[in-house]
Amino acid sequence: MSQADIPEAAAAGQEGGQPQRRIGVYICHCGGNISDYVDVAAVRDALKDEPGVVVSESPVFACSDGTQHDMIDDIRAQHLDGLVVASCSPKLHQVTFRNVAKRADLNQYAYTQVNVREQDSWAHPHDLAGATEKAIGLVRAGVAKTRLSDPLEPLVIQTVPRTLVVGGGIAGLRAAIGLADVGIQAVLVEREPKLGGWVAGFGATFPNDASGAEEVAGLLEEIRQRRDITTYTNAELTGKSGTFGDYMVELTLHRDGSDKALSVNVGSIVVATGFDSYAPDDGELGYGIQGVVTLPQFKEMVDATPSGQLTHAGRRVRSIAYIYCVGSRQGAGGNEYCSKYCCTATIHASLQVGGIDSSIRQFHLYRDIRAYGTNELLYNASRDAGSTFLKFADDALPAVATLPTGGLGVTLVDVLTDSRELTIPVDLVVLVTGMVPRENRGLVGVLKLPVGSDGFFNEIHPKLRPVETVVDGVMIAGCCQSPRTVGESVAAGLAAVAQSAALLKKGFAELEPLVARVNPEKCIGGGECLTTCPYDAITSIEWDARTIASVDPATCKGCGGCVPVCGRDAIDLLGYTDQQMRAAIEEMISTSEPVKEPVS
Amino acid sequence: MSTLVNPNLITDLQKFGAADINACFSCGNCTAICPLADNDAMFPRKLIRLAQVGLTDDLVASKELWTCYGCGLCTTRCPQEADPGEFMGTARRYAIAHYDKSGIARALYTRPVIGGAIAIGAAAFFALFFAAIRGEQSHTSLALFDFIPYGVIHATGIVLMIIVALFSLVGVGLLARDLARHDGVTRSSLFGSKEAWGRTGRALWYALGIESLGQKRYRQDCEDDEPVEPIYRRRWLIHALTLWGFLGLLLATTLDYGMDLLGIKATGTPVPIWYPVRLVGTVAGLALMYGVTWFMIRRWQASQCNDTSKPSDWLFLVLLWVTGLTGFLIEAALYAEPVPAWGYWVFLIHVAIAMELVLFLPFTKFAHAMYRPVSLFFYGLAKDRSANSV
Repeated sequence: MSQADIPEAAAAGQEGGQPQRRIGVYICHCGGNISDYVDVAAVRDALKDEPGVVVSESPVFACSDGTQHDMIDDIRAQHLDGLVVASCSPKLHQVTFRNVAKRADLNQYAYTQVNVREQDSWAHPHDLAGATEKAIGLVRAGVAKTRLSDPLEPLVIQTVPRTLVVGGGIAGLRAAIGLADVGIQAVLVEREPKLGGWVAGFGATFPNDASGAEEVAGLLEEIRQRRDITTYTNAELTGKSGTFGDYMVELTLHRDGSDKALSVNVGSIVVATGFDSYAPDDGELGYGIQGVVTLPQFKEMVDATPSGQLTHAGRRVRSIAYIYCVGSRQGAGGNEYCSKYCCTATIHASLQVGGIDSSIRQFHLYRDIRAYGTNELLYNASRDAGSTFLKFADDALPAVATLPTGGLGVTLVDVLTDSRELTIPVDLVVLVTGMVPRENRGLVGVLKLPVGSDGFFNEIHPKLRPVETVVDGVMIAGCCQSPRTVGESVAAGLAAVAQSAALLKKGFAELEPLVARVNPEKCIGGGECLTTCPYDAITSIEWDARTIASVDPATCKGCGGCVPVCGRDAIDLLGYTDQQMRAAIEEMISTSEPVKEPVS
Repeated sequence: MSTLVNPNLITDLQKFGAADINACFSCGNCTAICPLADNDAMFPRKLIRLAQVGLTDDLVASKELWTCYGCGLCTTRCPQEADPGEFMGTARRYAIAHYDKSGIARALYTRPVIGGAIAIGAAAFFALFFAAIRGEQSHTSLALFDFIPYGVIHATGIVLMIIVALFSLVGVGLLARDLARHDGVTRSSLFGSKEAWGRTGRALWYALGIESLGQKRYRQDCEDDEPVEPIYRRRWLIHALTLWGFLGLLLATTLDYGMDLLGIKATGTPVPIWYPVRLVGTVAGLALMYGVTWFMIRRWQASQCNDTSKPSDWLFLVLLWVTGLTGFLIEAALYAEPVPAWGYWVFLIHVAIAMELVLFLPFTKFAHAMYRPVSLFFYGLAKDRSANSV
């Protein structure tokens, strides 16, 4: 906007060389969410005379279509160059009102959202006067910050159409093929000597009885034929630099006793590192006694038996007890989650056992059967085939011991049999072990992956952003996120493909410009900021024959952690500059009215 | 106290039937809908569970097995189509086999070939035995006891009854002992005091009088919103006619024997059809034939809980029916002119089959006649207890 466009009144308002801003302020009623506890009209009127405020309104719903249109009209008619909406949390509507600014050709970073709902009206429902006074202060602060706002533009990054897939289990393999399908090169690294992960070791699997080994073999054959998929086994991701869309990753290839380093330029990273099976403690439910095995051990045994007789340690198995929820749903302090796949996997294996030798008696000791969806049909089939299900209470785990007569005995209090304590003599006890997070400390360190309290990696949003992490361009897929089935893992892998395509296929990416910026004149290369940055966004560079700090805007998250550590005040956070924050604070505390004493 | 279960109980039990019971997931709809289940006898769910987890002793010593009259309502309402009614019948078969220590009942139920050989072999044995010792056939009158000497029949009957009594006493004794243990009934609680004697007497009257003869609960079963069958083929009536017919025939035989002992009338003396003892026998026989014929029709139609009959179930009915039919043929022959020669041979068959019927009492479905009253006695005690504890 040139000087000539500014109406006379605005041009006349210039003081001390600084142009007077033309700001629109909207205090939202939010139905009654705000106006019931804050005198919205009083706030509106208090803001009217604020320097730079040209429009002060109090709509019933600021986010409504009608009000948005009114704002756009105001911005255009009044030539506004700043917008403040006092309403809800920016989490809810910051994007809404930024878009309002954009549609009115106003720089979207000239918009400030003031939260007078969660942080005011909802917090002080019994103090109208106090809440109103607080709202006035908050809005004034917002206006002060807006007065000093600079026009900013999103950062644009050129993206590399190549994705690194970490982990060669079924999710990673399928993701690599999916990436190739959408025209993104895939580089797959696998820590183990062989591709395929857990599923490659399975025979028949639920829900369709297909052989896991055959499914993996099919994927590997497919990968062999794809020129745009490169796989590395005995390889690890050991370094990452650059920015989202244009990462440089360091791979370490373990080759014949020596390590080889390899650098690959990728646009995004898909982590599909899978899970480990829970390892029972010695003596936990009889683990360690001959004839007590875990679910993976049992599955291997069943898969290796074609038909006829099931044997263990050279002896025929005529009866089996399965103890469910081992290592899962342990309660506070343990693995509190449900491992989700094990009920169905066990039931499926028990049906396999029936196919091998239908005379084998099978007892399922469970807490709750969670064979969800169509897997319920397998549960029914296993009962029809003669499996008996016994339910124990959460606080009364079964016990496994050797019987005086030899053989194994499983003792439980069966809730379904009048809560009687029963001892079942069996030849084999299967501990239905769940999933635990895999040890990946190195990878977590390199990628700065967010690890949840349960040890699995965290996505941003479990429903709406199910494979993205807070690290831009780094996605997670499969059992490294949480326990799940093969189908669900593969679905997550393909979701990561779609998300990679969304990030990389445009050829460029836009980032928030609200990042830290070093003032090279002030910076003396003290280096405090270098170690503070959790994202490794700050590096030392040579500038004008001096060593100074430089922030990579594509890597910076705008957390502001580096700003206060600089002894020279050489770093500023765009959108939240020192000047802006200071002005906001000054405005808030320089109220003419007496400061209310806090309620003791 | 932990109970060591028999992991193979359900597989063993399924040799006796209940093919669908594995589908049961213990929901309890069967117990909820059962018109006969009450606080003193809960079934079928509980019993199915006992079988599934392998608690053999608890299952066979459950009076609930015999407080069920197999109306089949539970089967129609089972969401899993596990056929709980059929299970109850199967468990009773299993209990009969369990309390028969000779293994004959088990063979009759589970081994069709061996069982068939036993059934046919026994009939053939008796027929050949009586044929071997047969006497002259008179042509002037149907002198049946000249053909097969009355003394031989009498002696054979006595021997068989002693054998049957031995097996039955063992079975009934074991069941009574197990039921008593299971329900915590002690000798002193039965006979220890005047009140105890009163309780015992009431329970006995309940078991034998009200239930066995009176069929009280049998009449009540299926008393719900189900369409009721016409009276002439209602299950309790069919059973009552069979039972009373059987008892009537027993009475006629005993009276005939008694009159022989007292010298009023020698056995085998021709009498007119209206002669009281003959009349009792004829009426009772008709009732028995009516009941047994209906039982066979229902079993043939595979209705309600009789959908999976075992050969042994048929054996009992067939023996009863053939005994009844041949009895009436003999009666016809007695009044026929001239004396029919086939009458003698029908008599031989009648005696042979009747002997087999008696002999097989502890090994076939007939055994319910002794186990059900025993169980009902304990049910009566339980009802008495809970009525007085309120």
